[in-house]
Amino acid sequence: MTVLWSSLAGGFLGTLALSTLLRSASEVGFTRMDLPFLLGTTVTDNRRRAKVYGYLFHFALGLGFAVLYGVSFAAIGRSNGWLGALVGALHALFTSTVLVNVILPVIHRRIGTPETAAHEIALIEPPGFLMLNYGRNTFLVTLISHMVYGAIVGWAVRV
Amino acid sequence: MRRDDGYADIRDYAVVGDGRTAALVASDGAIDWLCLPDIDSPSIFAAVLDANRGGSLTLQPTIPFSTKRRYLPHTNVLETTFVTELGTVRVIDAMTLPDDRLGPMRELARSIEGVSGTVPMRWRFSPRFEYGTVAGRLEWRAGVPTATYGSAAAALRSWDAGAPRWTDGAAAADFEVAAGGRALLVLASALAEPLVLPGRDAVERRIQLTIDFWKGWTAGREYDGPWRDVVLRSALALKLLIFAPSGATAAAATTSLPEEIGGIRNWDYRFCWIRDSSFLIGALLQLGCRPEAQALFWWFMQATALTEPRLQVLYRLDGGPNAVERDIPTLSGYRGSRPVRIGNGALEQLQLDIYGDLLETAWLYGRGGHTIDKDTGAVLGRVADLVCDIWRRPDCGIWEVRSAPQHFTQSKVMCWVALDRAVRLAEERDVPARHIERWRREAAAIREFVETRCWSERRGSYTRAAGSEDLDASLLMLSTMGYGDPAGPRMQGTIDAIMKDLRHDAFVFRYLSDDGLPGSEGCFLNCSFWLVAALARAGRLADASNLMNDLVARANDVGLYAEEIDPKSGAFLGNFPQALVHLSLIDAALAIADAGRTPAERLESKRPS
Repeated sequence: MTVLWSSLAGGFLGTLALSTLLRSASEVGFTRMDLPFLLGTTVTDNRRRAKVYGYLFHFALGLGFAVLYGVSFAAIGRSNGWLGALVGALHALFTSTVLVNVILPVIHRRIGTPETAAHEIALIEPPGFLMLNYGRNTFLVTLISHMVYGAIVGWAVRV
Repeated sequence: MRRDDGYADIRDYAVVGDGRTAALVASDGAIDWLCLPDIDSPSIFAAVLDANRGGSLTLQPTIPFSTKRRYLPHTNVLETTFVTELGTVRVIDAMTLPDDRLGPMRELARSIEGVSGTVPMRWRFSPRFEYGTVAGRLEWRAGVPTATYGSAAAALRSWDAGAPRWTDGAAAADFEVAAGGRALLVLASALAEPLVLPGRDAVERRIQLTIDFWKGWTAGREYDGPWRDVVLRSALALKLLIFAPSGATAAAATTSLPEEIGGIRNWDYRFCWIRDSSFLIGALLQLGCRPEAQALFWWFMQATALTEPRLQVLYRLDGGPNAVERDIPTLSGYRGSRPVRIGNGALEQLQLDIYGDLLETAWLYGRGGHTIDKDTGAVLGRVADLVCDIWRRPDCGIWEVRSAPQHFTQSKVMCWVALDRAVRLAEERDVPARHIERWRREAAAIREFVETRCWSERRGSYTRAAGSEDLDASLLMLSTMGYGDPAGPRMQGTIDAIMKDLRHDAFVFRYLSDDGLPGSEGCFLNCSFWLVAALARAGRLADASNLMNDLVARANDVGLYAEEIDPKSGAFLGNFPQALVHLSLIDAALAIADAGRTPAERLESKRPS
């Protein structure tokens, strides 16, 4: 149980830090990526409501991933901030190459994909490899924010 | 048709596409331009830019022939009929739309049908990757001639169209088509995924699906006014230029078709210009394309998010950042018109008019019944604030001149449009109203500047720039944008001056003064349609209708226009087909049909009360 609760606590703090970093990077013009917006528009095309739903969804995902981190750390019998940051980097790589770039557009009817043709309407441009369509620094921002998330979870988890 | 040194006239091309990419098909059956997988990707066929090295997919009788062409009614599927002394053959060209079965990433189908007699035919598939620079590996996959380069692959599968063989970097086959006989070619391509080689039934099913889609889409368009077929053809051409994965619209399907044969004015138009946005959204909404209008508006707000309130002049279709201009030295250019360029150097210019275009776009979007959410409203407010700060600067103007920046009249008027629309949007609570008094004050200052510094008593006309005596066809847009009285003496005088000095036959030059580039150019066809709209909005409907009829007759045989026309020879020049020309045509037709109302007034009248 210690692993579960410490993972959830780390996930909560990590997601707070992750969301803050992503939003800040967007505000200062580093990237156009907006994960809560992308997630929220799976259920609504109202932009403002989409962001609220998206933040809730993103928090739930953050907690879920933290539990996966915690289980993995428990399996190998160690957990610390550096290990968490390393897993966070892998997480960022997976998010940028597969999760948002490949899987999300398939289940998200408003995101374009390379297959979207004239008989379909996409409201949101495809992210592209490493989500670079959303700005040159997008992957860097994703990498750093997820490493911070991972470091916090790794620091918090008690194995 | 006749080819000079292997080059067809630009007028001889038609276009087929699927919302992701587009191919140019010459009236002799050659596909001379195709980029894969997307319209802004590197080309696999670029014979239009280098007849020897560019690559193409030809299909034609081996004996002398003449051709007749049309689009299948209300579709973007092309029908070419080859008439020979031995018989007649019909070819249907379609970029097919995907269905729910496994198919190629992109598929270009050429369906061949014997109409009469027996006609000897030949096809030749000569792929060249990366703008003609790479032949790739030419090999066989499951008996199908296939070319691969890096993670790209293209295969030409055929049925009843001869036994292909690789010779001199091309796969080719001879075959005969008898009356009632059918053959089929399909170009299947892939990027970063395995190539799917489709079956014949699947291709024929997708051709029919594609025809049905286009007919259904056209049937949904809301226009019953004059020149209906012409307007619908323009709408279909625009739909081909809408990049479906993002909702952005390419300014044209090509790069570097020259503004002057042999000249250097060769630009890449496979980007989305903010400048086209207000015409685009106006046309889409007025023709009942609400989903496309919503996708376009969302795309604009996403694409501009990184730099707002500052805007780039143009954006890549996928929203990506890289549009660096460079030359492709290996391509000799259309009829020797070098350089062939990809990317666009206008990206970094200061062009003040685009701020007005964005606000006008938002205003029209609202008139079309869409909601502007608070975040978008806040962005628009920041854009208006920026306009207050920068409208006094000289800029490169709507024509992206590469000479020294000037105080272009049209740029100043579009700054006025930006602030006028911001005030109106704020009054409707779509934009925060904190700075509304500043916007009103600065809008009045801009009007004062235009009316005093950009008006020539001697000419009785607005001028190209402050303090200048030159004219500019962009002044014709003032009434479309709701600046001043469209039938008042100042606008009437401007129309008359432009007709006197810039008009040649049915065509209008952009300007006659220096723009920082050597060489000459043809007449931009959008300027002619702007003149039609300005005449209609000035109450001169008979003049407008006469000019419209004249211009409609100057389209090519399938109703398409390039960017420019040579006023002496009637030859098309520049990129093809060009969105702004077709948008301007639609606006001109609507202006006449509505006795001069602006797009905003027309949309307002259709809003449910």
